[in-house]
Amino acid sequence: MGEDNKTINRRCFLRDSLWGASLVGLGMVAGAAARKHKKTDLIWQIDPYLCTSCTNCATYCVLEESAVKCVQVYAICGYCDFCPGYFELGASVLEPGAENELCPTGAITRTFVEEPYYEYTIDESLCIGCAKCVKGCAAFGNGSLFLQVRHDRCLNCNECAIAMACPSGAFKRVPADQPYLLKGESHA
Amino acid sequence: MDQITGKANTRLLVGILIGLAVMVAVMAVVRLDVIGRKGNGLGKGFKYDIEELTRVDPALIVYEESADAIETGLAATHGIAVDSKGFIYVAADRAVRIFSDRGVILGEIELAEPAGCLTVSTDGNLFVGFKDHVEIYDAQGQRQASWDSLGTNALLTSIAAQGDDVFVADAGNRVVIRYDVSGNVLGHIGKKDSFRNVPGFVIPSPYFDLVVSRDGLLRVVNPGRRRVEAYTFEGDIEFWWGVSSVDIEGFCGCCNPVNIAVLPDGGYVTCEKGLVRVKVYDSEGQFAGVVAGPSQLVREGECRVCDLPEECQAGGFDVAVDAAGRVFVLDTIRNNVRIFTKIEGR
Repeated sequence: MGEDNKTINRRCFLRDSLWGASLVGLGMVAGAAARKHKKTDLIWQIDPYLCTSCTNCATYCVLEESAVKCVQVYAICGYCDFCPGYFELGASVLEPGAENELCPTGAITRTFVEEPYYEYTIDESLCIGCAKCVKGCAAFGNGSLFLQVRHDRCLNCNECAIAMACPSGAFKRVPADQPYLLKGESHA
Repeated sequence: MDQITGKANTRLLVGILIGLAVMVAVMAVVRLDVIGRKGNGLGKGFKYDIEELTRVDPALIVYEESADAIETGLAATHGIAVDSKGFIYVAADRAVRIFSDRGVILGEIELAEPAGCLTVSTDGNLFVGFKDHVEIYDAQGQRQASWDSLGTNALLTSIAAQGDDVFVADAGNRVVIRYDVSGNVLGHIGKKDSFRNVPGFVIPSPYFDLVVSRDGLLRVVNPGRRRVEAYTFEGDIEFWWGVSSVDIEGFCGCCNPVNIAVLPDGGYVTCEKGLVRVKVYDSEGQFAGVVAGPSQLVREGECRVCDLPEECQAGGFDVAVDAAGRVFVLDTIRNNVRIFTKIEGR
C-alpha cells in the first residue's frame, strides 16, 4: 500500500506539473509587475527650461532646509571673470566679499583657473535654493546655474508643497531612474 | 436651581470654546497659502533686482523710433545686414528674408540649415555664415559657392566683406579667419600670442562680432573683456576701447557687447544683452549716446530682465546701420526689426 502511494501516475504528474507551471507563471507575473512598478516610480524634479527663478523653492519645501539647490553644469559655464551669477552687477571690484557677491548665503565659491578664467562651485550646505544666482546667470551669462531637486534630501511627498506654489509649472514628475533634468551643452 | 445654572454656564462656555475653535480653524484655512500667492517671505536681499540699473537718463537718448517695426514672420532670427541700396536682410533658422525699409518682403532665400550671420558685399553678393562654413549667394538668391567646413568646434557668429577680403568670426575656436573671396584662408587673427601682444579672445557665450571700420582696420568685439579691439588685416592689435562697467558708458555682465555696427561718420553702434541697451560710440570709442534702453527694447513699459531661459538665450539682439545712419535693431525674441533715426539737434 505504501509503495502504491509513492507511485506517480499520469493524473498526479499532470496535476503537479500544472501546479508547478502555475507557480512559475505567477512568479514571472509578480516579477514583471515589480520590475514595471520600479521602472515607473516617479519623483519630483524642476524643468530648468520652465523655471522662472521665482524664489518660492527656498521657502515652500516642507523641509526646514529646502531640497532644492542650485546646480552648475560646467560644460555650459563660460568660466567668466565677471560671473553674473556670482557678482552683483554693479560690483566695483571683482573680488570675493559680501559687498560684491550676489549670493545672500555665500554659497558659491570662486576659484582661479587661468587668466581670465574662474571656476564657480556651489556649496550645497549653504545654498537655500533662492535662485538669485540663477537669475543673474540666465540673464547675462549662459544659464549654467539652475535649480534642481536634490534627491538625497527630497522626501518625494505625494503633493509637493513647492510644486503647488510653482507659478510656471516647472515642477514635474520624472522617472526615478532618470532623476535629474539637466541642461544640455547645446544650450550655451 | 444653582445646579441647573452651573450646568447651563458650563454648556455655554463649552459652546463658546467650540465656536472659537471653529473660527480659528476657518481663519487658518483661509489664510493658508499653498499656491504661493502671498510670496515666499524672503527678504529684499534675496531678490534679483536690477530695476534701478535699467533706467536710462532720457537726456542721453539721441535716437527715436522712426517707423513701425518690421515683422519678419520668421522664427529664430539670428542676424541682420543692410546693403548699399537700403535693403534689409534677416537671417533665420532656414531662410534669409529680404525687406525694403518699409517692411515689404522683396525676396527669400531658402537655406538647408540655420544661418548664424550674414553680410552683403558692395557687388551685391550675400555671404551667409552657417555653424561651420560660409556660403555665397548672388543677388538672385542662387548659391554661388560653399566654402570648406572649419571643423566640428566651429561656430560662426559674424562675417564681414571688404574688397577682396572676407573676415569670419569663429566663436567656437575663438579666432577670426581671413579669407579671400574665393574661400582660401589667408590667415588667422586674434589667437593668443604674447610676442605680438595679442591677448586672445574671451568668448563665454556664442556672441562674437566684427566689422571692418572706415579707417581700414578690423574692429573685433572681445566680449569677455568687455571691449572692442582694433586689428590690422595681418593680425596686429593696434588699440582697444570699452570699459567694464554697469554705467551707461560701459559694458556690463560677463560678455558684452554682443554685436556692433559702423555708422557713416565712423562711429559705432553697440548692442548688449542682459541689460539690453543699444548705444552709440564715436570713432575713438567715446560714449556718444543711447539709441534705445531696456524699457524701449525689452518689453514696453517694463524694465526687467528675462524670466525663461529660452528668452534669456535669445536676448542677444543684432544691429545694422544703413547709409543714412539709421539704426536697425533685430529683436531676436519678437523676431522683428525696429528702426531708429537720430533726433535732430542731439
